[in-house]
Amino acid sequence: MRKLAEKILSMDRRAIYLLMASAALLPFLTGPLGLPSRVSPEVKAVYDRIESLPEGSPFLISMDFDPASKPELYPMAEALVRHAFRKNLRVIGMNLWVTGSGMAEKILSDVAEEYGKKYGRDYVYLGWAPGATNVILGLGQDIYKTYPRDYYGNETSGMPVLEGVRTLKDIPFMVDLAAGDPGIETWVVYGKAKSMAGGCTAVIAPGMYAFLNSGQLVGLIGGMRGAAEYEALLKEMGKATVGMDIQSTTHVLILGLILLSNFAFFATRRRR
Amino acid sequence: MSPELLGAWVAAGLTLAIFSFLYKDNPFFKFGEHLYIGISVGYSITLLVFNFMIPKWWTPLFREGRMSLLVPTVLGLLIWTRFFPRFSWLSRWAFAFVVGFGAGIAIPRTISNFIFRQVESTAVPLVSRGQQGVSFGWGDFSNFLIAFGVLSVLTYFFFSVEHKGPIRPLARAGVLFLMVSFGASFGYTVMARVSLLFGRMYDLVEYSSRGYGYATLVLLGLMVAVFLAQALSKKREGG
Amino acid sequence: MFLRQYVPMAIAFVMGVVFAVQYYVPHPASEELLTTVNDWLIVVSGFSMVLGLASLMGSHWAKVRRGVPGWGYSLVVFLGILGTLAVGIASKGKMFAGEELTLTALGWVYDNMLVPLQGTVFSLLAFFMASATFRTFRARNLEAGLLLTAAFLVMLGHVPLGEYIWDKVLGFLPPKADQVMGWIMNVPNMAAKRGILLGVGLGMIATSLKIIFGIERAYMGEGG
Repeated sequence: MRKLAEKILSMDRRAIYLLMASAALLPFLTGPLGLPSRVSPEVKAVYDRIESLPEGSPFLISMDFDPASKPELYPMAEALVRHAFRKNLRVIGMNLWVTGSGMAEKILSDVAEEYGKKYGRDYVYLGWAPGATNVILGLGQDIYKTYPRDYYGNETSGMPVLEGVRTLKDIPFMVDLAAGDPGIETWVVYGKAKSMAGGCTAVIAPGMYAFLNSGQLVGLIGGMRGAAEYEALLKEMGKATVGMDIQSTTHVLILGLILLSNFAFFATRRRR
Repeated sequence: MSPELLGAWVAAGLTLAIFSFLYKDNPFFKFGEHLYIGISVGYSITLLVFNFMIPKWWTPLFREGRMSLLVPTVLGLLIWTRFFPRFSWLSRWAFAFVVGFGAGIAIPRTISNFIFRQVESTAVPLVSRGQQGVSFGWGDFSNFLIAFGVLSVLTYFFFSVEHKGPIRPLARAGVLFLMVSFGASFGYTVMARVSLLFGRMYDLVEYSSRGYGYATLVLLGLMVAVFLAQALSKKREGG
Repeated sequence: MFLRQYVPMAIAFVMGVVFAVQYYVPHPASEELLTTVNDWLIVVSGFSMVLGLASLMGSHWAKVRRGVPGWGYSLVVFLGILGTLAVGIASKGKMFAGEELTLTALGWVYDNMLVPLQGTVFSLLAFFMASATFRTFRARNLEAGLLLTAAFLVMLGHVPLGEYIWDKVLGFLPPKADQVMGWIMNVPNMAAKRGILLGVGLGMIATSLKIIFGIERAYMGEGG
């Protein structure tokens, strides 16, 4: 027994890697597990807030992430933009992470095409600008000074999509999708958003509960699970919903590994 | 070969090159890692030029004559004196401007949007008052735990007083709260990392289909063959 | 000494005081000052980004010049930079071209090279984490036990299969797995995170004050 326990504890790291890869591949071989995720109140709150906005309201989405967190935040951004277009909101997109610009452009263009939305009238992509804190601060002062031109070089003043919008205060609701800093915290401290929600990678989500509790965020979409919940609310099976199967198998594997290593650890210790 | 098909082969190859690190550090991984740095720098420069330098600096300053932009231009050039050691001290002026502004704007906003709001939502009534008088329910218990938790964690981080006497158990409670929070963070981190793995696996599985010429499988086979050949030749050398 | 030390300290002091006070003066002139200077600083950030990118390139160029072992990989860095710049200029920095939304050359490099490379580099962490969990996650004492229990419950409540297992094994308990996870996140986790955040916030204020009063001079670089 002790020998077995010792053998378990000294398992080669590559064996664990192989187990992980197998657990991640399993759902591709078996097909969808079809287990639903229950929708949490914090995700529902974001959905409800967008639902409550009158048609034609401006809605800002800042996509502050890069390809390193694409599987978590890309589906989240798609779901939110989709929801906004369904509600006929005027979508204002931007991003603060330079290498995320391509993804932000793709999300807005793809979903807009899907809903037949017109650039400049129904949505705008302001693009990336350096100096995140200054950009956020600037939006609170005058959007047209911070972004005199959009991502495509068009003048922003006079754009129908921005009609009646001069500062962040003129935007009834915004969502920041963040993978770190600059992100939700920067928006909370320096932004003058009227009402704001956050979406973020699972790594930073636990820290964001403090802002949720203080009411500075009306809702929070955390990681792929949050994105899958949002997709469920929209009744659209996107990539996050598909990804939850891999989450299931790998999480159960890791939980099993924790139990196994603890049993083995105590088995070797007790004998000594 | 269509751009899409070529893209699939390139993406699958680069993904596998990086994953090969799990076996051991090797030239495939090193190539991929350095290419990643290069492309991300190249992409950042491209965006800096096309999304910033041209539309927000060059055009307004030199085409539209917005002379006020001369101030940040001078500050920016001062920063660039770092490239010339003899004059690099001049960059301090620009950095002082930037850092001083940052410090100035941070203080009031951190106090009002951060400290005050967080303290305010911690200091909430710990009992409920309803029609049947004062009661203490599960929600109140949670509020009590939050207030106690925040206080104890702050006590733990407060090193100006020695952690002994009545401070000791409070600081110890702080450690316990921190442990629960680290555990929760760990659980969430697992989800984040697995999400990234899903993203890559999804693409690899997609690229292993017939439509993409079995890109993943072919490239994986080639990579394994190279590693095998390498291991065999090493064994022969050793033997 | 005066130009190299006192002038920058004076600049930081004046800027700090002016913009700390500005927050409490809601006069249009004061708002205009903030808007203008903030606008300038966005431009300055662009210039400083060049500094960062150039220093990264400089370190790789030094490797190539000195011919240190593995210098060839530094050449790969330049290959990546120049290649991306070339397609970037050809595509005018855009991902798509035309109404049909066809990918530009830059879009192709971004989608098929940058996204998979960066995504894979970070997804390696999933494997390292699984291995580290196996090796270090042990309930050796009360603290470690609490950490492990919280992680275990959160992970169980996080995934549909975990919720399913909870329902099958512990279904007789009134709270569901996601509710237990929700409580952990919203109460003990939130309390600890708030404590940390308050500490960080106070630290940020202290550092800002130190900068304004010239005690913290790291921004001056060497010899500051």
